[in-house]
Amino acid sequence: MSVGRVVIVGGGIAGVGTAAALRTGGFDGEVTLVDAGEFPYDRPPLSKDFLTGTRDLKEIALQPPQWYDDQRVRLVNRTAVTALRPRDGAVELADGRLLPADRVVLATGGAAARPPIPGADSDRVHVLRTADDADRLRLALSPGAHILVVGAGLIGAEVASTAVRLGCQVDLVDPVAVPLAPVLGPDLAAWLHGLHAKNHVTTLHASVESFTERSNGIEARLTSSTGPRLYDAVVLGVGMVPCVDLARTAGLDVDRGILVDAGQMTSNPAVLAVGDPARVRDEHRAEHWEAAQQDGARAAATLLGAAPPEPSASWFWTDRHARHIEAVGHMDTASDTVLRGSFDGPSCAVFGLRDGLVVAAASVDDPAAVRAARRLIDRRIPADAARLADPSVKPRDLLRG
Amino acid sequence: MSSTGIRVAALDDIPEGEGIAIDKAITGTADNIALLRDTDDSVYALDDTCTHETASLADGWVEDGFVECPLHSSKFCLKSGEVQGLPATRNACPHRVEVRDGEVWLFPGEAP
Repeated sequence: MSVGRVVIVGGGIAGVGTAAALRTGGFDGEVTLVDAGEFPYDRPPLSKDFLTGTRDLKEIALQPPQWYDDQRVRLVNRTAVTALRPRDGAVELADGRLLPADRVVLATGGAAARPPIPGADSDRVHVLRTADDADRLRLALSPGAHILVVGAGLIGAEVASTAVRLGCQVDLVDPVAVPLAPVLGPDLAAWLHGLHAKNHVTTLHASVESFTERSNGIEARLTSSTGPRLYDAVVLGVGMVPCVDLARTAGLDVDRGILVDAGQMTSNPAVLAVGDPARVRDEHRAEHWEAAQQDGARAAATLLGAAPPEPSASWFWTDRHARHIEAVGHMDTASDTVLRGSFDGPSCAVFGLRDGLVVAAASVDDPAAVRAARRLIDRRIPADAARLADPSVKPRDLLRG
Repeated sequence: MSSTGIRVAALDDIPEGEGIAIDKAITGTADNIALLRDTDDSVYALDDTCTHETASLADGWVEDGFVECPLHSSKFCLKSGEVQGLPATRNACPHRVEVRDGEVWLFPGEAP
């Protein structure tokens, strides 16, 4: 059966990436993108420039309005898909309409995790996943406001950094002493976590036991603290929960994500899944921007019957306190690490090595080191630790051996 | 369109696979211009500021006909400036470049 009509459910980077890759790959059928928002937007700025108000929603659109016409992608906005009907070759929309679909791509994303902390249902407790969340949080981040950020991973660290820049008094609490150590290596992770204190964010090593609403704020009880602390607002940055309800109700295999094969196909061959909710069996969900985009490219290749794109080591970036951090590969698989530059210099990078090969790298304001590392990993080029450590050897030249 | 080239650099000033930025005070353009030397030694010029956020393409990774932005890895075609991947959505403006006797001549505002 030829694929004539593809319906993509969800307009994040995975959904829009799928649509773009279908057209780039020459797909000539109908592409419909169903999204709950007004138009698909990019999420990384939600904790940075969009949260400060420097950039508005239009400025973080994933594609300009004209793109949908040019690429013949039909955008059905402000609409939710309520059921998959693969046997009927359709999906059902919230208003009961059926949208014909030979293939469905689930790009449903995730929701911010809300751990069962007593009192966490207060209006003063925020999460950050959507532009609406960011709009609401921005109102709370007024100069002088006391803010508690729970979770010092990527989102938590970015929000703490943005909040302190907006003039808030920020406490950042995490039960892990050195967050991100598995992905960045313990030394770089410790230094980066220490960057918060240098930038007037107070880091607390504890868990939150409970929240209590007070007339003038919200009280947080921490496991380590001598007494309760009062805040104007709390932000939970403790991870995401994949949106798998549509998949589960449709009878697809779901286990900590919608299970997919290497071509993003679910247990029903008419349905594919991409981005945050998709999980390849025996692997972890990636939960990163580029990984979601690459899922889209793989799904498009599957739909087109084309060769999948070359795999590449996983990569992400994050920004905090005006420093740009990138990481590639799996640092937790490294047996040795090599430091390039010094933590207190203008830039630095850590390479993770195993059996004479680079398996990971992380950098602060040295993205070229990570670009080089990515190629060293992908091309399995033998690494010379002394050259990796020598800042006078340019990243580009590391590939030349 | 100007047909007067400006001698902006020697080829050896631009490391292979890298770029240098030429200041807009020299080019007379709205943005600085990135001179980008590909791995086959050909040289291209694009507006220096990534069309996504504020980053200098001259600091990017140049390889196989493309430059990759140093911030979020958007890729642009060296010849046409056409954007190849998100998060950038707009093309970078290309400018004509000539390499003569090891000297790089830039024609700001002129299509390649």
